[in-house]
Amino acid sequence: MHVFQLYINGHSLNSIEAVDTLLKICRENLNGDYQLDIIDIQKDPDKAEEAGIIAIPTLIRMKPTPVNRIIGALNVRSRVLAGLGIPSMLK
Amino acid sequence: MVTPRPESPEQYLYFQNHLCLPMQLKKLETGNASFDHISHGGLPQGRTTLVAGSSGSAKTLFGAQFLALGIELFDQPGVFVTFEEQIDDIRKNLKSFNWDIDTWEKEGKWIFVDAAPKEEIIVAVGDFDLSAFRIRLERAVKKCNAKRVVIDSIGSIFTQFHEETHTIRRELIQVALTLSRLEATSIITAERLEEYGKITRFGVEEFLTDNVIILRNVLYNEKRRRTIEILKFRGSDHEKGENPFTINPEKAIVIIPLSAMNLKHVSSSERVTSGIPALDEMLNGGLYKGSINLISGAIGAGKTLLVANFINGIREKKERCLLMAFEESSEQLYRNAAGWGIDFKQLEEEELLKVICLYPEISSLEDHFINIQEVVKNFKPDRIAIDSLSALARTSSDKGFREFIIAFTSYLKHQEITGMFTSNTPLLAGGTSDTEGNISPITDSIILLRYVEMSGEMQRSIAVLKMRGSKHDATIRKFSITDEGAKIGQHFEGISGILTGNPMLISSGRD
Repeated sequence: MHVFQLYINGHSLNSIEAVDTLLKICRENLNGDYQLDIIDIQKDPDKAEEAGIIAIPTLIRMKPTPVNRIIGALNVRSRVLAGLGIPSMLK
Repeated sequence: MVTPRPESPEQYLYFQNHLCLPMQLKKLETGNASFDHISHGGLPQGRTTLVAGSSGSAKTLFGAQFLALGIELFDQPGVFVTFEEQIDDIRKNLKSFNWDIDTWEKEGKWIFVDAAPKEEIIVAVGDFDLSAFRIRLERAVKKCNAKRVVIDSIGSIFTQFHEETHTIRRELIQVALTLSRLEATSIITAERLEEYGKITRFGVEEFLTDNVIILRNVLYNEKRRRTIEILKFRGSDHEKGENPFTINPEKAIVIIPLSAMNLKHVSSSERVTSGIPALDEMLNGGLYKGSINLISGAIGAGKTLLVANFINGIREKKERCLLMAFEESSEQLYRNAAGWGIDFKQLEEEELLKVICLYPEISSLEDHFINIQEVVKNFKPDRIAIDSLSALARTSSDKGFREFIIAFTSYLKHQEITGMFTSNTPLLAGGTSDTEGNISPITDSIILLRYVEMSGEMQRSIAVLKMRGSKHDATIRKFSITDEGAKIGQHFEGISGILTGNPMLISSGRD
């Protein structure tokens, strides 16, 4: 099971792109076995504070450990998969 | 009406300085008196100042002090953003300055914004911005109604996102704009690699151009010398050039404002006794009150004896004297003085004399200066004796010593304290030392003590070389040290060459 947090800023272009790509990956590569929490820093700044978020968008993979972070619009899918350690074979 | 348009950079500057901008922008008093002095009132209010320095140049401390003093002295809350050190480390490091950051945090006067690197690996895929940081910064500033903001240090965000320097640069411009919109007076610190070279490592100065301060920590002749330079304050005045500073355990950064020294002190025409009536006579009535007097002589020539008499001279008008001894212990000093019939113990009991014996090496010259100021503030002496200046000169570079002398003598003159300093000459018979080269232009009088070799006998001599604003005895006189103290005798008749160390009898009985 993969657990993600994605920090976005309202409807900024980078945010929308990141959400789209991530949802696609979750659907197509993880067979629905995931949990995704999308946090808008405009609405929930305390969470961003707690996690020490600087850049938008920031994707945190909480599970499996170790925790890691990817920042950016996630527009290169193969690199996102590599960064998250998801084999693209699962497709 | 047609607005004039600048056609060349020079003209542009002219317009900016003379037509467009009001010359004096408002400044925010930082609370660090020495900084407010050299900056002519503090940091430009509501603006961002770049503080650049090499690693270990006290950038973080400079920023933290700015916030701490704001809370302590003006009740102005502050926000501290860390891009580099972990918050816990900062709290710990700053505890030693007695700043109660924990309490201030609880009271909502000090807010940390944590932007320090996390343990997790970060990769960048695609475009991003720093809007999360800007929002957090803005929230913190509004939450405590911050008047002061410190961002420390901006260079490390480039290292955190090292492949994306272009994006970071673009985003930091946004951060700068946010700060200016919030109207808080802010400091952004940045790393630099060389002490004299490019202002910052990542070229931050390209978009933080208005106000720049440089902190330096230069190693020269095996000695460290810290300085602060205000490079520019756009549209506002400040002192130019480097000023040395020191980090004091109680007051954090203290600047010694060399460039801001002025010569506007009062020159008294009142005289005070040197403690030796015959010497007063040579000086045409004694030392001027508030003057700086130098005694130059080889080892054993009688310098400390003159100092002891200078101290004893306070009895006449019930003055107070501070003695800073850098060569001898107080036991030795008391014993020697007693040998000349001068009772230091009694003077101390009457609280007219304070003796401080230190090894000059225990602290830097700047720290000695701060310490002496502190003692002077509490003890309020009318006189100060330093025995010897040469020992003190050992602890610093030539330049540093010269600066110390200028700052110190200027300080004494402002306080109208009469000073007597001793200086060792390397040769027994004559010559001068580097110490003297540095101080002699600043002194009001110079008294020479020299050995004279005559007919197979060592004799001592005394002469007044210089006495500013007064006539003085131009003769070289015999000087002897007896059980009752100093004795000044007749002048060496028919002898020349004493000062050069080659005395010769002149046969012609000219006198």
